[in-house]
Amino acid sequence: MEVKGIDGKLEKSDSTSADEISHLSIDIGGSLIKIVYFSTNSKCSTNDEAPTLSKERQEVPNGDLNHHILSGRLYFIKFETSKIEDCIKFLSSKKLQKCGAQCHHSHAVDKIKIKATGGGAFKFADLFKEKLGLTLDKVEEMESLVTGANFLLKAANHEVYTYIGGQKEYVQIDQNDLYPYLLVNIGSGVSMIKVDGDGKFQRVSGTSVGGGTFLGLGKLLTKCQSFDELLELSHLGNNRVIDMLVGDIYGGLDYSKIGLASTAIASSFGKAISENKELEDYKPEDIARSLLRMISNNIGQIAYLNALRFGLKRIFLGGFFIRDHAYTMDTISVAVDFWSKGEAKAMFLRHEGFLGALGAFMNYKDGSTDSMPPQLVEQQAAKRSSSCIVDRIHNSTHVQENENGATDCRLRVSSSFKIYDEVKRC
Amino acid sequence: MASSTTKDHSHIEIDGINEESQQMTEKDIVEKDMAPLPGSSIHRSSSRPQLDVSGAAIQGNFEEKDPAILLPNQTDDISHLALDIGGSLIKLIYFSRHADRQVDDGRKRKVKERLGVTNGSRRSYPILGGRLHFVKFETSKINECLDFIHSKQLHCGGMDPRCWPSDAPPSENAVIKATGGGAYKFADLFKERLGVSIEKEDEMNCLVSGANFLLKAIRHEAFTHMEGHKEFVQIDQNDLFPYLLVNIGSGVSMIKVDGDGQFQRVSGTNVGGGTYWGLGRLLTKCKSFDELLELSQRGDNSTIDMLVGDIYGGMDYSKIGLSASTIASSFGKTISENKDLKDYKPEDISLSLLRMISYNIGQIAYLNALRFGLKRIFFGGFFIRGHAYTMDTISFAVQFWSKGDAQAMFLRHEGFLGALGAFMSYEKHGLDDLMVHHLVERFPMGAPYIGGNIHGPPLGDLNEKISWMEKFVRKGTEITAPVPMAPPATTGLGGFEVPSSKGVLRSDASKLNVGVLHLVPSLEVFPLLADPKTYEPNTIDLSDHGELEYWFTVLSEHLSDLVDKAVASEGGTDDAKRRGDAFARAFSAHLARLMEEPAAYGKLGLANLLELREECLREFHFFDAYRTIKQRENEASLAVLPDLLMELDSLTEDMRLLTLIEGVLAANIFDWGSRACVDLYHKGTIIEIYRMSRKKMQRPWRVDDFDAFKERMLGFGDKKPQPHKRALLFVDNSGADIVLGMLPLARELLRRGTEVVLVANSLPALNDVTAMELPDIVAEAAKHCDILRGAAEAGGLLVDAMSNIQDGYKENTPSVPLMVVENGCGSPCIDLRQVSSELAAAAKDADLVILEGMGRSLHTNYNAKFKCDALKLAMVKNQRLAAKLVKGNIYDCVCRYEPAS
Repeated sequence: MEVKGIDGKLEKSDSTSADEISHLSIDIGGSLIKIVYFSTNSKCSTNDEAPTLSKERQEVPNGDLNHHILSGRLYFIKFETSKIEDCIKFLSSKKLQKCGAQCHHSHAVDKIKIKATGGGAFKFADLFKEKLGLTLDKVEEMESLVTGANFLLKAANHEVYTYIGGQKEYVQIDQNDLYPYLLVNIGSGVSMIKVDGDGKFQRVSGTSVGGGTFLGLGKLLTKCQSFDELLELSHLGNNRVIDMLVGDIYGGLDYSKIGLASTAIASSFGKAISENKELEDYKPEDIARSLLRMISNNIGQIAYLNALRFGLKRIFLGGFFIRDHAYTMDTISVAVDFWSKGEAKAMFLRHEGFLGALGAFMNYKDGSTDSMPPQLVEQQAAKRSSSCIVDRIHNSTHVQENENGATDCRLRVSSSFKIYDEVKRC
Repeated sequence: MASSTTKDHSHIEIDGINEESQQMTEKDIVEKDMAPLPGSSIHRSSSRPQLDVSGAAIQGNFEEKDPAILLPNQTDDISHLALDIGGSLIKLIYFSRHADRQVDDGRKRKVKERLGVTNGSRRSYPILGGRLHFVKFETSKINECLDFIHSKQLHCGGMDPRCWPSDAPPSENAVIKATGGGAYKFADLFKERLGVSIEKEDEMNCLVSGANFLLKAIRHEAFTHMEGHKEFVQIDQNDLFPYLLVNIGSGVSMIKVDGDGQFQRVSGTNVGGGTYWGLGRLLTKCKSFDELLELSQRGDNSTIDMLVGDIYGGMDYSKIGLSASTIASSFGKTISENKDLKDYKPEDISLSLLRMISYNIGQIAYLNALRFGLKRIFFGGFFIRGHAYTMDTISFAVQFWSKGDAQAMFLRHEGFLGALGAFMSYEKHGLDDLMVHHLVERFPMGAPYIGGNIHGPPLGDLNEKISWMEKFVRKGTEITAPVPMAPPATTGLGGFEVPSSKGVLRSDASKLNVGVLHLVPSLEVFPLLADPKTYEPNTIDLSDHGELEYWFTVLSEHLSDLVDKAVASEGGTDDAKRRGDAFARAFSAHLARLMEEPAAYGKLGLANLLELREECLREFHFFDAYRTIKQRENEASLAVLPDLLMELDSLTEDMRLLTLIEGVLAANIFDWGSRACVDLYHKGTIIEIYRMSRKKMQRPWRVDDFDAFKERMLGFGDKKPQPHKRALLFVDNSGADIVLGMLPLARELLRRGTEVVLVANSLPALNDVTAMELPDIVAEAAKHCDILRGAAEAGGLLVDAMSNIQDGYKENTPSVPLMVVENGCGSPCIDLRQVSSELAAAAKDADLVILEGMGRSLHTNYNAKFKCDALKLAMVKNQRLAAKLVKGNIYDCVCRYEPAS
């Protein structure tokens, strides 16, 4: 019923007057809320530099019956979970409710449902109901991650890249040789999921040492107020001041017999045991660097071990920990490369943080056998704009930090999609 | 003897002791013959309980205190030193050799000839007897380590005994083995300060050989630790490899071990002990690792860690098996904007950090074990420090991820793997050949307090030890109340819920549960054990808390009597009193420590407790607390022996056998370990008590296999069975027990043509008769009995003593021999996995084993199975044991006969 309503809306969208969010999904994690929504009206994204697509509708050439493609944009936006009020405000400012009311004019307001995943979908269900009259239709978290990742890996060009020796390189994924792979989602904690196909997956591992640990420990140690500030600091740091290196133990020598260079970290924070120095005596930059390296390396190692376990050659890393941060990616890549002796590869996703939200978005199908979820047929953004978009993600991070906080990066548009909506009946 | 006291609380009068001494002096000759000075037992140094003093030092009048006695360690000969210098800690192992002064003892030589033991030929003895000591220092305080080495002159030792007078300056090319990064970093410093060269040994190699050695040679080395419960694991030597060795030092190394010298470092992590301590210091301002660890005991990580419940609004995420209390993100809650470091409790931070790191190590270790199909993961290194919470967390991680397939095990000598390995790398030490039965671990006085402290100074000198005890340990025999184990509440651990078994709140988290390893190459496994692999000496399992509490109470109540006796045995001097006091403190401290953590010294059985007490007495130079009592009782019993023998000889064969067994059981009542029996002693003479006791011997006894035994001995109807070829009689107490009980039984066996070997303690324990004392007792008895005399002569027992009284006497028929061997231990109980080589040799042709007394046949070995016929005889002199073991009452008798299995 739900989907039908949406379909109906899509069909009718020609006649409605723009800036409407037809589909919205939300992923409420421990630290961040990620939202993905589809809008048929490009005007809403005023500061969007991406190519603007006119809304169009067309017959699928080889399609049977009444296929039509609705094009519009997928928007990606995030908030801090601790500032959920901002998120609520944002949602109420959108025409989502109106959309919902339209869709369900025959139903009570409390029947409006949006797809939601992450722990917060449970925790904040009442809040959404109360403040927005929205019912959160919960989608299982791992399933969402996998659906989101599969979607991106299949549908988006230039979604995946490797980061080796400071070089970012995009990887073209062969659709027929995608599975199996290991999906590592680094949020507050880390989940590791073996993916064998659409809807075929298993959470095989995880670790509690993740993005939350980086920010949490980082805050305690450096007084940084945000994740990005901490990342920024780490750029300037030197971990050798804090970490005990093999050379520190071996008097500057390598321990070559087991393949450890003198610069290898023997013990993270191992030098901080020195009696003469207190926390204040260490530079926050060095601490941030050391922390980042410890956590990234650890995730890389555990990911590799799990990939090895199942013979997976490809490890895709998602989640909001990485943030296109060179050092993080480098550390993870090196860890995977080191332990696997080059056998396995760490790959990063441009939409890293939105896997869950995207997956939930793709879930707009349940309860209805007669419709298919929105599918992406084509990515319109050119390669040039893709990189531009990536840059913008980085920029908007700044915006978030320095100006408005998490709330106002509402138009962090990363790319535009055509949405293909197949309605079998009709 | 037997050991234990009942709840009966009578006191022994000191006057009684004085009387005993007076009586004793009247019979000088007996004193001389029967009570060899304690010091002489030292000479038999191949036997298990070697003393901390050299024999020479305590020869002569033992009341005249030669200072040398008080400085036992000065007489140690240090021959080896090995170091593991890591990023945070220096681990040091040194070996002290106790000069092996073999006494040319006539009896012993005779026994050896007869038993076919030629000195040293049964095994080429490459193994030095001696002790391994374990010490650690902080690397940042390397000077303390250098001072320690210098003060003990450890660097001057060497395999060549000629170097031993250790005041000599180290020779130019003196070399000590070392591993760990510091072996490189500090090589110059060692050269400069001590004039020695460091010979560097590969770190992984050392870890592996150290671990292999421990797993093979130490019985209770490995244990599991789940939810606060520690359990020792018996490692099958043949099924040891492959395993994963995880050494958690500053960093973590993971090594796949396939055999001796066969290994590969497969993984590691830089998140290790250094990370915990480094981050912990920055976050909490703790001054030491142990302080940080201790803080964690009082922490609550839910204020720091983001739990699944925090994300899911208190709900579990059951679909992927995560409960609400699972840690989703370590330190994930400290992202809160309004709080900074000072708003969090250091306790909570420490706990959260500990969990994060322990869990992470467990997880990576499991993944590596999985990769190579390894079922066993051994964790070593100084990060763990016997800390219950750390071990639980690691175990949980392994258990959780492997779904129970893999098992995390910990090592008691956790931190010393590398140092041990470096030590093993000395050539010619022979340690590779060392078997588990060659090693005895002793927990000296310092164990509950100083054992394994980060740095010295060593309390070598007895006087220092006593002062230390006086200074630091409150007097008294009270046992500190046990701290309750794991509260039922659980908090989670990321992906990985774990019960918050913070375990026992130990004030001394840093204390190692590591004693001094005594290497006794002459010990062997008793060859007649039916299945040495499954043999467990202890009958009473002290892991049952109630049982533990009971025996601790018994031992502490008995303590003041024991101290009185011990002090009196040393003449009641002020010095003796002071030592007695220190002994009481030290033993109480041991008890308190064990009450707090029963597995602190390895798997704890009643036998271990009783032995610990004897060891502790010896440590304070009480070598034979019951000496005078034993002498008096021997004399009194020997006086009535002729009458008893006459009475026995007048009986029929059937009646005689029954009377003899009755006699053994009745005489077993003379037991100074039992309070109930001590009380009896004041009510009558020995012979009266013996007769009264025998009168009460109404069959059937509580356990009564007498008929089966009789049939084996005398046959049934016309069938006359072959007599046994050789019988081993494990004897118990002095006095009536040996003289009126076991000797007449031995005589009967001899008369039937069975060789008899009397097996007695190597060292005194309570009023147990020792192998040193037995020949004189036999000689005295032989004066009144031709059978005993002939047999004792044949067994070489009379060579020195009485044998020549009737020079012209020649027996018509050569008698079967009566021999005496020492069992290799100095405890009221016996662990048959570690017996003297002469007992092992004597067992070769034996086809009957008779164990007598509570200690050897009930507390231990009640369930032991033998390859030959076995008879276990004891009177149960403890109500609780009677109820528990035989569902009977105090003074019930056990006559358990089991034909060869």
